[in-house]
Amino acid sequence: MDPAAASPVPAPAVEEPVSATSVLDTLGAEVLAVMSPVSICMALVVLLISLLSPPSSGSAAGSPPPVTAATLVYLESPNDSPGQKLLGALLDAAVFVALVAAVTFVLVALYYYRCTGFLKNYMRFSAFFVIFSMGGAIVAAVLRRLAAPLDAPTALLLLFNGAAVGVLSVFASAVPILVRQGYMVALAVIVAAWLSRLPEWTTWIMLVALAVYDLVAVLAPRGPLRMLVELASSRDDELPALVYESRPTVGPATSSSSYASAMGSVEMQTMTDSGQIRGSRYDRVEQEEDASPAVVEMRDLGRGRSSDGEMNRSRGSVLQMENLEREVPVTSAELTANQGGSSQHAVIQIEQPDEEERSPLVSAASTNNAALDEEEHRQSSSSEPLDFEMFESTRGIKLGLGDFVFYSVLVGRAAMYDLMTVYACYLAIIAGLGCTLILLSICRNALPALPISIMLGVTFYFLTRLLMEPFVVGASTNLVMF
Amino acid sequence: MTLAAGLGYALIALGPAFSLFAGVVARKPFLVLTVLSSTLFWLISLIVLSGIWRGFLPIKSGAWWAYAILILTSVALQEGTRLVFWRLYKKMEEMLDAFADRISKPRLSLTDKMLISLAGGLGHGVAHAVFFCLSLLTPAFGRATFYIETCSKMPFFLASALIALGFLVIHTFSMIIAFNAYDERKKSDQVFVPVIHLAAAVMTLVNLAPGGCLIGTPLLLVMAALTLQHCWRVACQRLTEHRHQQHNSN
Repeated sequence: MDPAAASPVPAPAVEEPVSATSVLDTLGAEVLAVMSPVSICMALVVLLISLLSPPSSGSAAGSPPPVTAATLVYLESPNDSPGQKLLGALLDAAVFVALVAAVTFVLVALYYYRCTGFLKNYMRFSAFFVIFSMGGAIVAAVLRRLAAPLDAPTALLLLFNGAAVGVLSVFASAVPILVRQGYMVALAVIVAAWLSRLPEWTTWIMLVALAVYDLVAVLAPRGPLRMLVELASSRDDELPALVYESRPTVGPATSSSSYASAMGSVEMQTMTDSGQIRGSRYDRVEQEEDASPAVVEMRDLGRGRSSDGEMNRSRGSVLQMENLEREVPVTSAELTANQGGSSQHAVIQIEQPDEEERSPLVSAASTNNAALDEEEHRQSSSSEPLDFEMFESTRGIKLGLGDFVFYSVLVGRAAMYDLMTVYACYLAIIAGLGCTLILLSICRNALPALPISIMLGVTFYFLTRLLMEPFVVGASTNLVMF
Repeated sequence: MTLAAGLGYALIALGPAFSLFAGVVARKPFLVLTVLSSTLFWLISLIVLSGIWRGFLPIKSGAWWAYAILILTSVALQEGTRLVFWRLYKKMEEMLDAFADRISKPRLSLTDKMLISLAGGLGHGVAHAVFFCLSLLTPAFGRATFYIETCSKMPFFLASALIALGFLVIHTFSMIIAFNAYDERKKSDQVFVPVIHLAAAVMTLVNLAPGGCLIGTPLLLVMAALTLQHCWRVACQRLTEHRHQQHNSN
């Protein structure tokens, strides 16, 4: 009998409609839309690492670890005693976290004083630099490893083009979402692959320290990331961070529009003081009903929704908002996160490559969830009308790029030991991500995405390495399985 | 033996799982999440098991009875995990039904429930294949192959891939049988699943004997086929019963 040929679950019976109305179809779509790019990023990093460096725990065969902010104090060498390594790694991690915190505070200050031009241009430069220089180094290493011939001018040209498109796709809104997502993942892969070259103890301690820092920075009252989130939401502006936007397309109106940014953005100008308006979408709906002078300005963009999106029709618009609430159910299992608007206005910041890791990535780590609860307020001074068909599809979740990077660093470091640890860490990280998302749907305010996953990942790595591997390898090499 | 061989072995072990995934599971995001969580469950049970057994390793090569005890405990733990998984699944089913009521969509149909159990079983099977077979497969991508002493006629990778395939089928479909049996409280099926699992695991003990893998592996695949056939029967029976009920009620 051919196992593959006969699936014991026959095609759905005649009277049961296939999948159109089942709850299973749509549940978890947003969660999956975030988990897939994370998985792809991790897979690519593992692939890169196994391709470029032999998976040995010693770094003797590989290139010397980069001089980074994470190794300012102590550079690990294989000859040191464990105690020395531990101490050195702790010092390194402390310095690193302090640096990241300082930079985050600088970012908050810059944002507070509205130096958006500077931030924007700096981010553009950073994006270009990462893709061109760090990505170029990786491409060169891969080419060398595969012994593939490619001449220098062609390589430079291609890299330059790639980097230019990358810069455009990260900022401009008129870029297909797939391209933007692809470039986000590429950025994360490049940074993670570069970071994985750190020595082993330093990596682990740094990961744990960053997870703790993330927890503190987002949840503590005076934490820099929390201040950033509050600043951004009080100004009804985008968070100045690099975030990955996932956009599950549930309804028939998939976002074929080029105004990818406008998902979930409803421009509203109420007569009440806008500065005070916070809270979730639903709060605003209630506000709408009360505040009769409120004007809901919804700019429509065709696609047969002409009946809906008239401008400046408060009553009709309010009804529209109410319909929206019913269309997009909220449960503990489903997350309806706002998209938070256009990256055109987003002051997005990327890490500075020579400084190891910048706060924005870490801040981006938590701004994912901060963005989830953001109101749709946006002083859209852009000339681009907001897309309307977003109301048909549920809102996507945003995950900061720093999360991608650190998950991948963890998995990459696990890949340097063995594939079994890779799978275990991957599962742990995905489980942590799922837990975080569930918590998010319960808590509904900014949550750090790093702590749970990193802690689970580190735990599972050491458990697998110390406990499980001798057991499983011992059994399976004797072909005894269960 | 190069990339082709390595990929070939990986596909032997995981090919059916991959097609099941692409054809059935990937269409519904919830099922993908179910696969991931059941994989995690299996991993946790494996870690617990290895924690228990860590003190007794490494096992001397002659002591086959130690392996027998190992297998007994492992199967017992995994069947316990299956029960726990079932309990969790029941709770989740309630939540899903409540959610479906809230958004006025139909509740979980029988097919949905079977799909969830299929996804759960697939998670277990994939976890098994990944941890027992794939993680050792890296050398197969290189230039040579490897034979172990007790199995000199078949490359080690091929044997482990075939065994992984057998267990994948067994795990996947016995989960459907088990969930069905717990649902309908059919004792015979409830016993069938652990027995088959145990029998299959004990069958791998044959691999310890010299030349044993030539006997053990095909027998294991036969057992996998048996599981598949039983599951087919159970599923058909359940679905026709369900259809009759629906006809009668209409």
